[in-house]
Amino acid sequence: MRNGSPGALPHVRAVTIGLAGLALAVTLGVRAGAFAEAPAAEARIAQTSPAVGAVPTASSHRRTLDRYCVTCHNQKLKTAGVLLDTVDVADPAAGAEVWERVVRKLRTSTMPPSNMPQPSDEERGQLLSWLEGALDRAAAARPDPGRTETLRRLNRTEYQNAIRDLLLVEIDAASLLPPDESGHGFDNVIVGDLPPALVDRYISAAQRISRLATGRTQGTLQSDIIRVAPDLTQEQHADGLPIGTRGGVSIKYTFAQDGEYDIQFYLARSYSGDIEGLKGSEQHEIRVLLDRRPIGTMTVQRPPDGDDSLLDRNLKIRVPVTAGPHDVGVTFVRNSSSLLETARQPLLAHFNERRHPRITPAIQQVSITGPYAAKGGGDTPSRRRIFVCRPAEAGQDDACARQILSTLMRRAFRRPIVDADLERPLAFYREGRSSGGFDAGIERAVGAVLFNPEFLLRVEADPSGAKAGVPYRISDLELASRLSFFLWSSIPDDALLDAAIRGDLRRPEVLEQQARRMLADPRSFNLTSNFAGQWLQLRNLDAVSPNVRLYPDFDDNLRQAFRQESELFVDSVLREDRSMLDLLKADYTFLNERLAKHYGIAGVYGSRFRRVTLAPESRRGGLLRHGSVLSVTSFATRTSPVVRGVWVLSNVFGAPPPPPLPNVPALDGNVPANLPIRERLAAHRKDPVCASCHRTIDPVGFALENFDAVGRWRDHDGDNGAIDAEGGLPGAGTLKGVAGLEEALLRRPELFAATVTEKLLTFALGRGVEYYDAPAIRRIVREARPDNYRFSSLVLGIVKSVPFQMRRAS
Amino acid sequence: MIITKKALPRRTFLRGLQATLALPLLDAMIPAATALAQTPAKPVRRLGFVYIPMGCDHGRWTPAGQGTLGELTPILAPLEGVKEQLTVITNLRLEQSYPGTHDTANAGFLSAAFAKHTESSDYYLGTTADQVAAKEIGRETQLPSLELAMDLNPLAGVCNNGYACVYQNCLSWSSPTTPLPSEAHPRIVFERLFGEGDSVDGRRAALRERASLLDSFSDDIARLKRRVGATDRARVDQYLDTIREVERQIQRAEAGAATNPMPDLDRPVGVPAAFADHANLMFDLQVLAFQADITRVVTFQLARELNNRTYPEIGVPDPHHPTSHHGNDPEKLAKIAKINQFHVSLFARFLDKLKATQDGDGSLLDNTVYLYGSGLGNSSIHDHENLPILVAGGAACGMKGGRHIKYEAGTPLANLHLTLLDRVGVRVDKFGDSNGKIEDLFDLVAL
Repeated sequence: MRNGSPGALPHVRAVTIGLAGLALAVTLGVRAGAFAEAPAAEARIAQTSPAVGAVPTASSHRRTLDRYCVTCHNQKLKTAGVLLDTVDVADPAAGAEVWERVVRKLRTSTMPPSNMPQPSDEERGQLLSWLEGALDRAAAARPDPGRTETLRRLNRTEYQNAIRDLLLVEIDAASLLPPDESGHGFDNVIVGDLPPALVDRYISAAQRISRLATGRTQGTLQSDIIRVAPDLTQEQHADGLPIGTRGGVSIKYTFAQDGEYDIQFYLARSYSGDIEGLKGSEQHEIRVLLDRRPIGTMTVQRPPDGDDSLLDRNLKIRVPVTAGPHDVGVTFVRNSSSLLETARQPLLAHFNERRHPRITPAIQQVSITGPYAAKGGGDTPSRRRIFVCRPAEAGQDDACARQILSTLMRRAFRRPIVDADLERPLAFYREGRSSGGFDAGIERAVGAVLFNPEFLLRVEADPSGAKAGVPYRISDLELASRLSFFLWSSIPDDALLDAAIRGDLRRPEVLEQQARRMLADPRSFNLTSNFAGQWLQLRNLDAVSPNVRLYPDFDDNLRQAFRQESELFVDSVLREDRSMLDLLKADYTFLNERLAKHYGIAGVYGSRFRRVTLAPESRRGGLLRHGSVLSVTSFATRTSPVVRGVWVLSNVFGAPPPPPLPNVPALDGNVPANLPIRERLAAHRKDPVCASCHRTIDPVGFALENFDAVGRWRDHDGDNGAIDAEGGLPGAGTLKGVAGLEEALLRRPELFAATVTEKLLTFALGRGVEYYDAPAIRRIVREARPDNYRFSSLVLGIVKSVPFQMRRAS
Repeated sequence: MIITKKALPRRTFLRGLQATLALPLLDAMIPAATALAQTPAKPVRRLGFVYIPMGCDHGRWTPAGQGTLGELTPILAPLEGVKEQLTVITNLRLEQSYPGTHDTANAGFLSAAFAKHTESSDYYLGTTADQVAAKEIGRETQLPSLELAMDLNPLAGVCNNGYACVYQNCLSWSSPTTPLPSEAHPRIVFERLFGEGDSVDGRRAALRERASLLDSFSDDIARLKRRVGATDRARVDQYLDTIREVERQIQRAEAGAATNPMPDLDRPVGVPAAFADHANLMFDLQVLAFQADITRVVTFQLARELNNRTYPEIGVPDPHHPTSHHGNDPEKLAKIAKINQFHVSLFARFLDKLKATQDGDGSLLDNTVYLYGSGLGNSSIHDHENLPILVAGGAACGMKGGRHIKYEAGTPLANLHLTLLDRVGVRVDKFGDSNGKIEDLFDLVAL
């Protein structure tokens, strides 16, 4: 089994983590006091921003509503299904669901529509503080934590992480399990189903993993093919491979047994079927590396008759490898003579035969097959993890097996193990031992532990005696799992589990200490890769493929660099416990030479990513200037102010626009396609139905027009002339360019903080955020404000919140 | 002339059967004119569905005239070799997929049902035609049905227009709340079909190991039922149904291990890099599954709605989705046609293989009916009118080929599903929004 794409650069990550761990440790314990505050204390701080001048009353709020809202939101028109003429504004708690919608619209200034009369800031503020105050007081008196689903299976990421933490084996879950569905923007929401095909795959996965972890192959060969992205340029040095090499891949691979393995590879071929990059009589030396040591060398050159069809059919070596994780590298020795010569405009991308062909050969795929002449499981991290004892003499087998299994099952099932739990796995163990010995018995039992509902499902059941509809505090063990699946997308470690079993975890200071410890652990990189990967849609980078004619310089190297920049940047905010606002405006980022060239920043050389302090004229810094975000919100041939506008409004500003109305004509069907995008959208907005949303959406996207569809800065758009980056944001009027947009967003930092909190809470709970969660979110944001919305203050706010600690009985 | 179902001439078409068939022809030859003739034609033995996204270029898809299928249009040209077993149907529609979106196009294609507008796990659609059929013709096989796709990575993050991604990802639903995930990895499909182990004994031992793991899993799930409240017990019951289903599959596989020889195909290890190679392999696996009678119902999503795959190998380096918003730009339409034709050519290669594979007295194609098409008509404006629809195969089951049937605009696609279900022996009065059957597709011999 393999792990990681060839482009992944884990060791860079490790360095960052190591340094940042120190930074975070310094801040530990500073905020322990705030943690002790129980949810019931909500009422004391609920009333905010008292009104100036006359004391507002329910009847003055009614007047404000009648004047600005009821024109559309009345029983006759029923606009958006919100009827504000009949609900009782004197008692907002009675209509919390509708009032929370009003609060969101007022807070984000998305209502009343900009072409309608607007309430004064004072009127808006008074109505808001009245509504929020009443809603928060009611929530404090009668908290509604919502109800997470009772039965939730591990999703693919969680399964992969749990296996890593349980058995110290890195697997590629994508090759073992079917993909998960997304809901509310995250793939841990729709996880209640269990279709037959999935059960089938769970069985196969459990068997394969138990064999790999115990070092038994049962006579079958392990065989994996690692494909290199076809649009990966391989003319330069690749990070993770030795200096003096160019191109190729480095693969993290776990070998099941000591033995001999075939490492075979193929060279990239063009559409016409020829091996790319072979010219004249130039020779290219290929090195095969194991843990960065050369273990084989081969040379290729163009055959005299030009027929290269068999040239790479036998690029294969058989080498002895010890069991366990290794780095396999296949790369080229850099030819001093291979100057980057090309007949066309010099580009950085070289993978497209017709437009910007490879100059030198490239690796297309690597396969690893073995073991031949197997010599057993050897000494591996996973075997050391599993075999905590060895039967010293005959007759002690069972005692040792019990010890092995109870240790493993406690972690896997996230709870204390009693004797009765051991019976079934022991039966599998005995069956296996009788036919293949002690290790075979353990292998079978491990398979039974992995294919077990207690490992695969997260169950949160109402305690006996829970009253229907009444909230209750979840158990310490349930809390431990919520915490570890939130921060690590994995099972609790021993320290967390111990605290839960002792019954300590519900104590606020213990909970905070555990949460901070876990945030400092490298496993919390999950919040970057998994949470932020979905929140910011970085995961969709793989699907980004800009038009090759318009953006000939886009290749997989750039795609991976986009991802790296954003991941390292988000991770730096997390590790250094910075303010979340830094995500929107920072004077640094992470670059390698490829990305720096793309951004037009001088002085960054080599494939390795490093932190770069940015000059203001670099035009880079916050997330809105990252190539990743700018390209996942663009079409293949052009930018999309609409997609970008929706992205900012939904993921940063907290005012997701409603989905298009039924039967709204598509932009492209009605408007000439050759107009500049601003004019095409203007035509679209002529239709009042379209305008109702696009008047809010489009200006936000226009502010980012200085960045093209692959995130490069531009002052002109081809034949369409100079870029007009005048844009807008609800409540902020018109603004200019990305800087103006950032400034407007940062002027109301609580909106960004609330949006991040909402996304984090969705991810933490694995359910959509509902109106009854709004008071908890407001409280988290309020309490994080004095801390300038530090990352940890939001995370810890969630951990101690009502929805995280409690659950409503069914 | 518009052929409406009432005006159909009750005639028997024999063209196209002579080449490949001997005996089944007898069934087909029974004159339909003897109304209520009671001699049964063979029921359809196998049913397959292939989905293509984002509609078609109608100009290069729709055959001229109607009735007998004349010269094939540029997109359909690759199907020349199986023309005699091919019916093109024009003007079918998916009413329930409105307001027009990509998500509802995929979701509605086999369900003809309305997709509940939600992003959460409370999604609701309808049981799809393939699954209704599988309950009838899938009972005897190791796998009641097989769900295949081409996209290895599901969409992440927020999907489209507030629809949960399941609508876009899953073609096949075994109940309105149970979307069936599909598999794109050839090796995993192979293992589902043929299991592990390379000998009869090895396969049997591997299957027994799976069965005993499943036993243990089943007991633990049953115990779970006592821990959860009444509302969640229904979900546990669903889990138990799932387990019984997997158990049954294992038993079937074990019974078949001795009789189904290992296929003459190397165990696939990776996913081929080229789209065509990957698609061909997925089609080959369908041939194998039919040949070994491991399943009789297949759905195959040849590409996903909204996808941005480029096809440089056929001269379309532009991503599919934006190109499909062609706005009648001739250049973009030509590219869509190229993609359409490329997809059809892969399907054609598969049909040729089915035709060349012996099955009983005839070929696999004679005993298999495939429905090929899209849930969008004109993708540029997201409509679900005049869907591109092909029906192929089934000569031994009374299917008439070599025809272009042109309906009145707005005829429900569900009518076709109802017709196919009728032919596999499922008697239902209505499917989705159906308002009749598709006449003139099969010989009018009562089953």
